[in-house]
Amino acid sequence: MTLLEIRNLKKYFKNVKAVDDISFRVNKGEIFGLLGPNGAGKSTTISMISTLIKPTSGEILYKGESIVKKPSIIQKKLGVVPQDIALYPDLTGYNNLKFWGHSYGLRGKLLNKRIDEVSEIIGLKDKLKKKVNEYSGGMKRRLNIGAALLHKPELLIMDEPTVGIDPQSRNHILDTVLKLNKQGMTIIYTSHYMEEVEYVCSRISIMDNGKIIAMGTKDELIDIIKGQKKISLKFDEFSEDVVEKIKGIESVKDAYILDDEIIISTENGETIFKDIITEVSTTNSSITSIDIQKPNLETVFLHLTGKSLRD
Amino acid sequence: MLSVLMLRIMKLRNEWMLFLMMIAMTLVFSTVFGFTLSQGHSPKILIVDKDKTEYSQILIDELSKDEIFEYEFANYEDAVKMVDENKALSAVIIEDDFSEKIKNGKKTTLNILKVKENRELMIFENLLSKTTAKIAGNINIAEIITNYITENGSEDKIEIFNKAYTRMSKGLKYRRPLMIEKEIFNSSNNRYDNYKHLVIGLMLFFSMYTMVFGIGEILNERKYNTWQRQLVSPLSKFSILLGNMVYTLIIGMVQISILILFSKYIFRVEWGSSIGGILLVAFGFTFSVTSLGLLLSGIVKTHGQLSAITPVVLTSTSMLGGCMWPLEIVNSKILLALANITPQKWAIEGMERIAMYGQGFESVLFPTLVLFMMGIIFLGVGTKLVKFE
Ligand SMILES: Nc1ncnc2c1ncn2[C@@H]1O[C@H](COP(=O)(O)OP(=O)(O)OP(=O)(O)O)[C@@H](O)[C@H]1O
Ligand SMILES: [Mg+2]
Repeated sequence: MTLLEIRNLKKYFKNVKAVDDISFRVNKGEIFGLLGPNGAGKSTTISMISTLIKPTSGEILYKGESIVKKPSIIQKKLGVVPQDIALYPDLTGYNNLKFWGHSYGLRGKLLNKRIDEVSEIIGLKDKLKKKVNEYSGGMKRRLNIGAALLHKPELLIMDEPTVGIDPQSRNHILDTVLKLNKQGMTIIYTSHYMEEVEYVCSRISIMDNGKIIAMGTKDELIDIIKGQKKISLKFDEFSEDVVEKIKGIESVKDAYILDDEIIISTENGETIFKDIITEVSTTNSSITSIDIQKPNLETVFLHLTGKSLRD
Repeated sequence: MLSVLMLRIMKLRNEWMLFLMMIAMTLVFSTVFGFTLSQGHSPKILIVDKDKTEYSQILIDELSKDEIFEYEFANYEDAVKMVDENKALSAVIIEDDFSEKIKNGKKTTLNILKVKENRELMIFENLLSKTTAKIAGNINIAEIITNYITENGSEDKIEIFNKAYTRMSKGLKYRRPLMIEKEIFNSSNNRYDNYKHLVIGLMLFFSMYTMVFGIGEILNERKYNTWQRQLVSPLSKFSILLGNMVYTLIIGMVQISILILFSKYIFRVEWGSSIGGILLVAFGFTFSVTSLGLLLSGIVKTHGQLSAITPVVLTSTSMLGGCMWPLEIVNSKILLALANITPQKWAIEGMERIAMYGQGFESVLFPTLVLFMMGIIFLGVGTKLVKFE
């Protein structure tokens, strides 16, 4: 069942086409991923879904009803975890949750019960008496998520919820996302970390320059570059001409230097390793390791846009 | 609305500093100025008596009954010099035909020397014209008596008039208790009181900061991204604004009430007979200034910018509106016209009608209405300017 439908959505700022005609559906119960590099238009898309800004054109339907015309339809059902932490630094964690719960209509005992449950989920139960400005980055991130969970939203939108935190907090957050989804919550998860999106999302759309350039399950996306391999070579030292030589091999599509490695994209060459070693041996370079990388969303993105997800 | 109100009360625990500071500032300034005002000598008025008759003496005696000013005799040259050098507030010249003119019922003019107009001088001029009017009144009465007596007798008219007038002027010196009481009543309640004006002015001036920054807190909300989060929540824009407005109105009123109580019991400032009227004006003022604060918050982008422009706006409009000095000493028509568009002017006017001139509740209705109108305009424009995204 379609919970959210985006139709030909556009948002143009003065001289930026931040979101440029995108369409997609989010089904009930799924974790839908929005993957894209900085400035792709992810946050702008989310701002429109969460009724913060009005689209230049296009339609957003929640359960078939236009929220562009009637924002209140979605507001009570929606939980938003904004990319930038949105909390009151001078208030305690508890008071922050109390206010946000209150603003979603929770009162009295129910509010307290939910604060209890949510602080359990985000693992901040014993830190609630502290002021937020005494929290670590990871704790703030978790409270930022908690504030969106109090009213048990039908749809939870998370905009880069793991930016700038330690791996432990990050894993905690990712597992929380999966747990919430198991309990039936539909989630839109935004990130420019492809590992995260791969890990939690059932369907993914890849955005770049305001457009969706690919959409599907992880496997479907990787199928786009079926047969392609990525090989990375490490050297003790290498001369400049080695890249040119490798590019000359028939099955090599592209080769470039990344730090002390050479990255090679190939198309299914049977003799590729032999060819590479032969070519390299004609130069003054010596290989220390050869690594075959499985294709992933990063490779897909590279394939589609010719650039890396993280710049 | 309730959510936002609750939020603001929770935040008050961290914001009370500004609130207390503004109360403290008002009290400190009131004390300091009160001290300097009471230290100052009574302003000196020079009397150049060219007439040197009984009549000029009556005038001088009458004037000196009031203790606001100190009187001293001087000759004309000295008087000009001293007034010019600011050693005396003013000088009254009693010309040598004063008694003649006054006796013959002609129009008398008293010249006064002054360098500049100010509040004290206005009070003095007022006193002078009141006193001369009183003397002229006495002359009238003396004349009527004279006429009456001459009609019924044969004595010399001029002689009788002289006798009657002397009686009248003696009567001035031995006035009946009732008259004296009225004088006292007048002087304590209906007269301009510099100190009271100052307390009201400072109270309004400093409380404006609390109000502007009270509503300006929405700019901090944007800084902390909680503004956006509130907008995304089921809270409506209206209820977000209303919550912040109501909170600021309450805190503004609390501050003004505290200051009124302080001034009443510590500085012994009398607030007149209609405290309800004072509070009504205060509410009108709080509303208009809070709305002004919203307008300012809509114009600037950040809380930092608001902190930069607020003192400029508040100080300049407070000077214009008469918080720092009474508008009566302002001569410029342009400045006086501009004063009308400051909330301060109307609030001072309303409060002083009750606290200084002893008027009742109805007297503040017009100033309050003006304050509300201003508030509605500021609110309307402010709401348009505030960015809801
Ligand atoms: N209010 C605005 N005014 C003008 N341009 C804007 C505005 N908001 C966003 N943009 C532009 O729109 C584009 C998309 O921005 P957006 O924040 O949606 O990207 P994003 O995918 O969320 O990136 P990031 O990963 O950095 O969060 C960017 O070029 C940005 O500069
Ligand atoms: Mg973003």
